[in-house]
Amino acid sequence: MSASLQSTLKGFCNNRVWRSIFRRAPARTNRTRSIAIFGNLFLHALPVKVREKSLRVRATYYLGSFSFFLFVVLTLTGIMLMFYYHPAAPKAYNDMKDLRFVVSEGIFLRNLHRLAAQAMVLAVFWHMFHVFYRGGYKPPHEFNWVIGVVLLLLTLFLSYTGYLLPWDQLAFWAITVGTNIISYIPILGKPTRFLLLGGHEIGENALLRFFVLHCVILPLAMIVLIALHFWRIQKDGGLTIRESDERK
Amino acid sequence: MAAEDMGKISDRVRLVFTISSVIFLIVLAVAPLRNLFSEWKYYKREYFRMADGRPDTKKLLADFHPGIDQIWQPNLNVTDRCVTCHQGINQPSLTDATIPQPFRAHPIIPHRATEWGCTVCHRGQGFATEVKEAHQTTLAWEQPILPVRYIQGTCGVCHRTDIPEAPRLARGRAVIEDLSCIGCHKLQGIERPLMLGPDLTNIKNKTSREWIFKWLKDPRTLTDGNGNISVNGYENEDEPRMPRFRLNDTERAALSAFLIDRKSNLIEPYKFDSRVTAAWEKKPDLVDQGETRFRQMFCSTCHSLAVVRGGETQLIGGDIGPELTKVGSKVKPDWLVSWLQNPQAYLPQGLMPRYGWSDEDLYKVNHYVMDRLTDPDLLKDVRIPEQAQANDIQSGNRLFQQKGCGSCHVIAGMKAQKDFGPDLSAEGAKSVSELDFGAAKMPRNLIPYLESKIADPVSVNPNARMPQYHFKEGDLGSVVTAALSMRGTQTTPGIHALVIADARPEYQAAGDFGKAYERYKCYVCHRFNGYGGTLAPDLSYEGSRARQPWITEFLKNPQTLRPTLTFRMPQFNVTDEEARVLANYLALVMQTNRVDLTAHHPEFTSDQASAGKQLYEVTYQCQSCHTIGSAGGYVGPNLINAGNWLNTAWIQEWLTDPQALVPDTIEPHRAFTAEEKSALTAYLVTLKQSGTVKASVPSGGSR
Repeated sequence: MSASLQSTLKGFCNNRVWRSIFRRAPARTNRTRSIAIFGNLFLHALPVKVREKSLRVRATYYLGSFSFFLFVVLTLTGIMLMFYYHPAAPKAYNDMKDLRFVVSEGIFLRNLHRLAAQAMVLAVFWHMFHVFYRGGYKPPHEFNWVIGVVLLLLTLFLSYTGYLLPWDQLAFWAITVGTNIISYIPILGKPTRFLLLGGHEIGENALLRFFVLHCVILPLAMIVLIALHFWRIQKDGGLTIRESDERK
Repeated sequence: MAAEDMGKISDRVRLVFTISSVIFLIVLAVAPLRNLFSEWKYYKREYFRMADGRPDTKKLLADFHPGIDQIWQPNLNVTDRCVTCHQGINQPSLTDATIPQPFRAHPIIPHRATEWGCTVCHRGQGFATEVKEAHQTTLAWEQPILPVRYIQGTCGVCHRTDIPEAPRLARGRAVIEDLSCIGCHKLQGIERPLMLGPDLTNIKNKTSREWIFKWLKDPRTLTDGNGNISVNGYENEDEPRMPRFRLNDTERAALSAFLIDRKSNLIEPYKFDSRVTAAWEKKPDLVDQGETRFRQMFCSTCHSLAVVRGGETQLIGGDIGPELTKVGSKVKPDWLVSWLQNPQAYLPQGLMPRYGWSDEDLYKVNHYVMDRLTDPDLLKDVRIPEQAQANDIQSGNRLFQQKGCGSCHVIAGMKAQKDFGPDLSAEGAKSVSELDFGAAKMPRNLIPYLESKIADPVSVNPNARMPQYHFKEGDLGSVVTAALSMRGTQTTPGIHALVIADARPEYQAAGDFGKAYERYKCYVCHRFNGYGGTLAPDLSYEGSRARQPWITEFLKNPQTLRPTLTFRMPQFNVTDEEARVLANYLALVMQTNRVDLTAHHPEFTSDQASAGKQLYEVTYQCQSCHTIGSAGGYVGPNLINAGNWLNTAWIQEWLTDPQALVPDTIEPHRAFTAEEKSALTAYLVTLKQSGTVKASVPSGGSR
């Protein structure tokens, strides 16, 4: 980086506006850097320092970050889709038609949301396998492993609840099959199915419940748990490093 | 790890990141490009170009805008974007066939597209802005656009009453009703009648096992000895209502054994008056006399006979009752006598009127039918494998139920079969996933399915229980049209509110009139306040039209007023008392308020009458359609007895506005002056045939 660019940057970081936002001058030493991280609402969950080894591609394949990135994509496209969607029969299906035929880039938005959702399921699974085979579930990471498993379930459940929303034949029958499977759980099965569907059959109530789950409850739970997941990585002493990593 | 190693790795990561970002950007760019090159934009540009090159550019482009156009009718649940490409549908200057589609104007129809949208009639996917999605069955839309030949099917979704604009639909509904589809299927807008096929409890009395065996192979009577059909029936008349079931010889033997085994009260042979038997038994012209009587009674109004004319066999006669060419080889003589005397004793819901027979007539006609209307070869080829065994009868019983015979035929002591076939009251709205195509090779959508299934039920399902129907040319299409109109309550709420229900009037006749009305089945041919047949004149206003004495005489001896008609009122041999009751009732009850019979008319003078004659013969040339005596045309009724026949007030009103009295009459509506009307009426009431009625009673004897 050229010297002039560096001095421009320095000037940019050293004025009143910068200070009013970040409360301190740009960090120059390890200590001030640490304080900057600790003092930032968004960054304080992340470790101040990481080991070089854990930054290597092979250490994580960035699968956790990739999953998170997909979650962000899904949130953004999901919010945009919500502008065009009514959780009501038969309007829901008509909205799919509108997205396809009249909304500018509507089909792109829908496809991006759908493909990202499928990719996220894959990424999360891969992430889990990767962590498992690296022994990432071992102490001191046991609790974070459990959170990860819950996140996996949340991802799957988000995928499942989103499946009903287009309100087409595929959606209807997939949810029919799924909720019937649930109803085979002893004792709890039937009440759970009733709770999920808001009735005995898949109708507008089910659509509304799935919509609220998909767009409010599950994403919120996801955000909270993702934050906890990230924060615990730091608190548990960073990523798992294996001996084979040390050797190289 | 050395610092330069780290640097190398991060360089590699950076490269991967850069490449994947570029790929991602390209992918992102595809989406807006797809939008830019979409089909509808192409058609928008093409329309603009076409309109630009025409003299009426300004008018054609008055509503043009570059975005998506749609017809939006929220209460009909219509969002039709068809007009995005079909830009010119409301442009009268684009009606010409040379205008390329999709820009041509819509033909003029009673419903404006802007008020109703397109998919209400045409189906297809109104939301779509892509050609294939809009018109065809796709993964995301099952109801394709209706081919024009079936377009009347959607008229019937709302119009449950027949409308003149949809003749194919009306024909289809009539065929569905005629062929008794209601026997097995639930259908929209068709009620199950009291009787479909005849009651088979006592069929043993009526016919033989051999005949049943033959009939079941192909239910038509007009077959020659080799089983070939010499007159198809359905070529000029309707196919018999009984369809052909795919039965093999064993099955037919079993079914015929079962049917002939029913316990029934055997008919006592009728004891003819011994004087009649003695007088006629030996007469060489007994059969010829019987034929004459058969013709005089006008049995042919309802029954047809095969007649060879110019080397070609034709069916002559009506289609209300069965065709009778070979009935002598079918029925047993004792049964025939008892049937002719009282058809309702055998079939309580039968449509055959109960004639008043003299023994002599009955004897003659019975002999005529049994001797002349026969075919000695009819049952020659029938080889029933064996004598009816108990197990045959049992398997016949089983077959009767398996084939759904009980859906149309009643057998006392057996449970009637209902809803044997699937519910078709919403067939027109069925989705592809609900249809069983089997291994058939055809496009997977409703229309080819219906075409194939109705034409040949085994084409889509080799194990179909549905029998084989034959249709006149074009009727298959009509039936498909009617089936497509049956969409049940699945139509949108908006459409459902628009349904114009089919109100069928019932006419209940009570008392002595009711008894005679029921006995002679007047309603089979005549119409009473909207209820009844259409073969004969509507009698709703008969009391206003005809004078009571004339009605009485006519009932006793129905002489036709229109000599060219093939179908005439049969000679029922109505008793004096019955004729009096019927005429009284018709004269007093069946009236219209337009004709005031009690109004006082000044006496007509002979001057008026001669002026009327002048008007009739010279000014208006009425004789070109009407006959008086032997001169005149045959289009209108014979007026030779008009003075006895018609009420004066009726003639006056008729000359004022004939269509107000009989809506579809072909009588021209002329603007006569009041003097002309009086003169014509004065002339017509002088036309009286005195004493002719009594003299021409055919020698039928009396009861």
